Amino acid sequence: MSILSACQWLQDTYIGTSIRESIWVFPIVETTHVLALSISVGLLLVSDLRLMGYIMKRRPVSEIYEQIKPWMFTGFAIMTITGIFLFWCQAVKAYNSIFFKTKVILLIVAAINAIAFERGIYRKVDKWDNALVPPMEARVAGWASLIMWAAIITCGRTMAYTF
Amino acid sequence: MPSIVPFFQWCDDTMVSQAIRNSRVAFPIIENFHLFALTVLLGSLVVLTLRQFGLVYKTQAISEVANALRPWNRWSLVVMLVSGILLFLSEAMKCYGNTSFRVKMVFLFPALLFQFTIYNRIVAAEDKIAPTGGKVAAAVALCLWFGVGLAGRGIGFLG
Repeated sequence: MSILSACQWLQDTYIGTSIRESIWVFPIVETTHVLALSISVGLLLVSDLRLMGYIMKRRPVSEIYEQIKPWMFTGFAIMTITGIFLFWCQAVKAYNSIFFKTKVILLIVAAINAIAFERGIYRKVDKWDNALVPPMEARVAGWASLIMWAAIITCGRTMAYTF
Repeated sequence: MPSIVPFFQWCDDTMVSQAIRNSRVAFPIIENFHLFALTVLLGSLVVLTLRQFGLVYKTQAISEVANALRPWNRWSLVVMLVSGILLFLSEAMKCYGNTSFRVKMVFLFPALLFQFTIYNRIVAAEDKIAPTGGKVAAAVALCLWFGVGLAGRGIGFLG
């Protein structure tokens, strides 16, 4: 079975069809996906900015990051769940969209960046926790994260257009 | 009472409106900036609300957290308003007949007013623990701004 036919099958399932054809469910899921940007990427912004040495410099990096983390993860969980349902009901359209494909690749790269940060320079955070401006490797991770998330948002929004 | 339709018609006819309508990419590009700014604006508000409820950054005073976030909150609001006005100009007549747009305005003006006359002053004066009034103000600001976002998304969906 090709990926395209799998996408076709998925959106033709009872759930896919129900969401797509409903008057309220699709807008509600989509709006939740958009507004949850504030608790996912919005909170990520705060910890990334600390990592880049721009805000709350007098507080330890680990404090800024760890305290916001559970809320941020809640935001990303909402994003993931609503995102799955949005894909579910329009899988073929997504499959045919270059913006969606780019988005998926960027999501994977962003996840790799986050894991590399946690397993890399963040393991030694004790050594630079109070640094006003964290070491280069941490700053790069922060910049990379923000640039990728901006691109992910752009891809997600632009998916709705056909040029 | 004079009708406001001519005003919307004028907005719809400006050179900027026509330029945006005549471009295939202008609207999506402006919309993307609107969405970035939404993320930053609502994000900074969520962090400050979490702080007021004592759920994050308790070692910092509320006013301190508000100070750290202020430029991000301010500048994202500027981007939000500029991009929002451009989007509006390009489809002013559509917005006139759009219930969601009207609801959005009913949330937007109180949100701006509440933030600049009450909320900002409250958080600027708060130390480590927010009194009940401060928490209520945070909840009101959050509801008003999320209301703006909710109705804004509705413009495209519901009419």
